[in-house]
Amino acid sequence: MSSENQTSFTDIPEAIASVSGTDRSVSMTVDSELYPLQAVYGASYIFIDRCYVFIDRPAAGSYRITLSAKESVEEVEALRRIVGEFANELLSCTWRHQVTQDNRVAIETVTVQAIAGAMGEPSLDDLADFDFTDEALDDPLGIAQSWEEKHGRPSPGPSPEAKAEADADAEPKADTEEASA
Amino acid sequence: MTELRFDREVYAGEAIDEAVKTWSRFADFALSETEAHWVVQVTPKHEAAARQIVGEFGNFVLGLTVDRGGVS
Amino acid sequence: MKPINLAEIKPRPGTQAFFRWRQIGDDAILITNLEGNWLILTVEEFTQFARGESTPDSPLHERLLDKNFLRSNYDVQAASERVKARKYFVHGGPLLHVMVVTLRCNETCVYCHASRANMDQVDTDMSIETARKAVDLALSSTNGFITIEFQGGEPLVNFPVVKEIIEYATERNKEIQKRLEFTMVSNFALLTEEKLAYLLANKVQLCTSIDGPEELHNAQRKLPVSHNAFQAAAGWIKRVNEAYIEIGLDPTLYHVEALLTTTKATLGKWKEVVDTYVGLGCKTIFLRPVDPFGFAERARLRLEYPRGEYLEFYRKSVDYMIELNKQGVEILERYAAIFLTKMLRGEDPNFLDNRNPAGAGIGQLAYSYDGKVYSCDEGRMLAATQDQTFCLGDVDTPYRKIVGHETIRAMVIATNLDQQPDCVNCAYNPYCGTNAAYNYKAQGSVFGRMRDNNVCAVHKGIQDYLFEKLAENDPEVMAIFERWTTIRPREHFVQEPGRTPELESDLEAAPSEA
Repeated sequence: MSSENQTSFTDIPEAIASVSGTDRSVSMTVDSELYPLQAVYGASYIFIDRCYVFIDRPAAGSYRITLSAKESVEEVEALRRIVGEFANELLSCTWRHQVTQDNRVAIETVTVQAIAGAMGEPSLDDLADFDFTDEALDDPLGIAQSWEEKHGRPSPGPSPEAKAEADADAEPKADTEEASA
Repeated sequence: MTELRFDREVYAGEAIDEAVKTWSRFADFALSETEAHWVVQVTPKHEAAARQIVGEFGNFVLGLTVDRGGVS
Repeated sequence: MKPINLAEIKPRPGTQAFFRWRQIGDDAILITNLEGNWLILTVEEFTQFARGESTPDSPLHERLLDKNFLRSNYDVQAASERVKARKYFVHGGPLLHVMVVTLRCNETCVYCHASRANMDQVDTDMSIETARKAVDLALSSTNGFITIEFQGGEPLVNFPVVKEIIEYATERNKEIQKRLEFTMVSNFALLTEEKLAYLLANKVQLCTSIDGPEELHNAQRKLPVSHNAFQAAAGWIKRVNEAYIEIGLDPTLYHVEALLTTTKATLGKWKEVVDTYVGLGCKTIFLRPVDPFGFAERARLRLEYPRGEYLEFYRKSVDYMIELNKQGVEILERYAAIFLTKMLRGEDPNFLDNRNPAGAGIGQLAYSYDGKVYSCDEGRMLAATQDQTFCLGDVDTPYRKIVGHETIRAMVIATNLDQQPDCVNCAYNPYCGTNAAYNYKAQGSVFGRMRDNNVCAVHKGIQDYLFEKLAENDPEVMAIFERWTTIRPREHFVQEPGRTPELESDLEAAPSEA
């Protein structure tokens, strides 16, 4: 980006955010200590209907957000509005990030009660449809692993019956993979 | 051709793979990586819509990354 | 108002328990706590409190103690009981089921374009099959109270489906035994004696729209042929109210209520609006600002206004309503009643757009004519502008998938004020709520930004007004507010479980037909 086509945003303090722009896009560099990545994601996402948004890290300790207007932005004022609105949204997301961490237990409790209360108890049909394959279990100590897996010992060979069952299980699995490919 | 360099601490690699699959109808992609970046060379199949294709592809990668909760 | 100077007050931790504060007058500071207790302090009292210096045995100390504002005596049990009472609705499940039986409408309103269709667009009518599935879904709700609200378009345009829903739901409820109610929002222009008899016999609560005096109403709501939408509505309001008396219902409790949509043109006519409602026999006015759903951008510029101007309108209207009440006229403002119930009674009237968390998905569902199911009516209106963000599935989707949808989870979190910057520190937090669909439409995300959010501005402005009134402590006004927060349930509209629906053939001999 050459200095000739840059748009001046002298009223935004560089210590907090430095801004440079062309006639269609604007980049804002922010301190990652002040603005965590989750907040940058949150604010950036809100602009993807109006702008093409790219995030990079020009140096350690900073994020640069480039907003490139989808419609032709002809006036400096229009770009200024985008920068201003983004800065407000980023601040809001940053604070929400902190508040959400502070009040996490209360928020989760209310949400779980509200959703569970609205859903009610699962029926037998619901349970039959439930996907139990999801790997939700965090098992750092390997408690859920078999002794052989945990210690790398060869497992005893499968019995003929078990082998037959394993072969039978393999067929539907192959179908599933094919369907998702 | 436009080269996009997605920072690996900001963008999820899986999000890029998925976005490339989705957008392959509209552009040709060449993927490589450095220690810090996922490098994507985008060659739009429709020159008149090149800016839109590259931009929307970037938004798509961002959206999928956010959807995954960021880089794991 | 001269703002207080915190640098001079020098607040510091001391005897106070957790509190939030807001200045509401030159010498009036509101403090509220976690469970929604409140006190209005003078600047001198607030200074003592903020410095943590309340002296035992002082009158201030007693007041603080009584309302649980002191750390050393903080009554955790009392606080948790009050929070529990305020949040009783959280796990209740959807009770309001909005059924859009058609998009067709006989009126053309200046603020409603996208969510209506012309009278020849019969393809926007809900089918009988879809209606039955919608009822099945609604009755699957975990909530023991179910209100089915008929909306449109104009619901009377597709009256056969309205009847089907009433009869099918009543029949199914024989087995399910919920507290079932039906309400209808209609412009009444297509009402007939026959339809009215059916609706009365089946205990359908009727509600209409009145935008103010005749000239304003007719300018905003165009009715072809007669060109007098106001007279059409007013005539039927009178007739329905007479019919309630004929069947022996108490007219102070059972009468038609109307909804106002406040546009730019309404703002200068606050007195005429109130007089019109009183003249029509309404006991309630809901001074709703125009919302951004369903109308075109060019209409927005014509209809919208800064919320500061709305709040001036609100203050003048409610001041006038209070004066009328002092003269013996019974008229209340709905927003005020909702907030005052929370402030004065420590209860939540469960108004779904103004609770924490809001009711989208967990308190209401909206069923569109085509069978699609949305988190709320606003979500359905957004879909009319090709935005399906709040679509949860359709009437064939299992109930648990609808309410367990990730969009509902996001909306519950987004309308939880404990995650909302600004709201976490706002003195009005215990009485307030935010609307995720509005935030999304107006500010791009379900979370919104409260500092420049119109719903927040309206809620704050109304609560400022109410707390100013409470600070004045005029016994006459306090008695009026007490009446406004007295909820008298309208038991007549509850369908008795096991009741057989009144069919058209039965009505021919019904007394109300005579």
